[in-house]
Amino acid sequence: MSSLPVIQRMMVEQFDLKLENLTLDATLESLGLDSLSVIEFMFNLEDELKIKLPDERIEIKTLQDVVTLVDRIVAEQSA
Amino acid sequence: MTRRVVITGLGIVSPIGSGQEQFFSNLMAGCSGIKHLQSPFVDQLSNKIAAAVTDFNPAAHFSKIQLTGIERVSQFALVAAEQAVQDANLVLAESEYSRAGVCMGSCLGGAGTMEDGYIEIFKHKPPRVKPLSVLLSMNNAPASHLSIKYHLQGANMTYATACASSAIALGEAYRQIKHGYADVMLAGGSEAMLTQGAMSAWEALRTLAQEDPEDVSASCKPFSKNRSGLVMGEGAAVLILEDAERAIQRGAKIYAELAGYDCSSDACHITKPNAAGQARTIIAALKDAKLQAQDIGYINAHGTATLAGDIEETKALKQVFGEQAYKIPVSSSKSMHGHLMGATGAVEFMVAVLALQQQAVPPTINLHQPDPECDLDYVANQGRVGVPLEAVMSNSFAFGGTNAVLIARRFIP
Repeated sequence: MSSLPVIQRMMVEQFDLKLENLTLDATLESLGLDSLSVIEFMFNLEDELKIKLPDERIEIKTLQDVVTLVDRIVAEQSA
Repeated sequence: MTRRVVITGLGIVSPIGSGQEQFFSNLMAGCSGIKHLQSPFVDQLSNKIAAAVTDFNPAAHFSKIQLTGIERVSQFALVAAEQAVQDANLVLAESEYSRAGVCMGSCLGGAGTMEDGYIEIFKHKPPRVKPLSVLLSMNNAPASHLSIKYHLQGANMTYATACASSAIALGEAYRQIKHGYADVMLAGGSEAMLTQGAMSAWEALRTLAQEDPEDVSASCKPFSKNRSGLVMGEGAAVLILEDAERAIQRGAKIYAELAGYDCSSDACHITKPNAAGQARTIIAALKDAKLQAQDIGYINAHGTATLAGDIEETKALKQVFGEQAYKIPVSSSKSMHGHLMGATGAVEFMVAVLALQQQAVPPTINLHQPDPECDLDYVANQGRVGVPLEAVMSNSFAFGGTNAVLIARRFIP
């Protein structure tokens, strides 16, 4: 199951973003998120989904990038 | 060749209101911001009183995305700075960015974030310390946020000299302009340390005021025989300092000239105040302002309401001003806004500047039992209007022995 709905809900709650803007091709920058708010968001996502994201730096530009990463980690860590 | 420095904007977030007008009218009315603290941890404190900023709504000033990276201490600073910049009608051309800077004072920076981190580390296994903890809690975050927002590419400095932090910040900003390193400085202080850890630590030091059993808001009693200590507060004050020539050329409203400053150290005890050190600092600040003792018409005292502090400050004033000390109105506005720690020097200098501008002296409230060792005119309980003032002074005497004195005078071009 895609993590997109959870990510969208958390972005709405945490950053007051509008759901209709949270499309897969939206860049985080276009949503007004800078590198620091993305770090904070990913930290909260770990808590929400009870996963551990990799420590190494991963290029994340779009919402699709977040979903792809999170779905991969969820699959790996629930296996 | 030195330059004159003027004050062209004021901004404040305080326990007795935001904005200089509300702040000063509450001071003159003798309103206290001291209340029972409404925090989840309050039951674990013996001393449950504080001067908190209770009407501050971060969402009115910042988006949720911004709040991710801006701690309460920086929120206060940014809101106070915005007021000050608007008040001064300050606009910097790009060519001026490198000639503008910021000096702020804070004792503990983002104390709440630090404590949240410690709670994680000591209570939860494995701990989940928030990734932005460093950026939120670092002492220089408030100054840095101001620098970023207003393109201040000159000096960006933060002073942590306990209760004198923001008086030092103002004084050092004044020197930046006076000696030609900058043309405009944002200067002041911010503090947000009404946290369980900070309040417990101050409580353990036995310097906090006992709660008045009849009226919580009257618990801080500077210069009164029954005083029992300080009440911790929070908030921020930011002033716009400007080269006088620049201010005149742009037709700025000028509150006053920041005419004199000195800082020095007692160099004798980590907490015990020292009249000789304080007097030395006052004399040096008067000399810097090229003023005589008799020119000072109002003194905003450090006046913490500690047993030793109020007596020692009284002694220092007598040493410097002699018989005239009995004729100068001296008040402690901490009786109303509490002790804002790293922000208090800037808040209280602002009180002095507003007193000068409005020719009105705010009172020391809760002063009903005279102390024979504190026998000056402390403007007991009732403010005074229509007081002719040419020059005013604000004292800040800190733990660690740091003394800072600022003098403002009516600006005559």
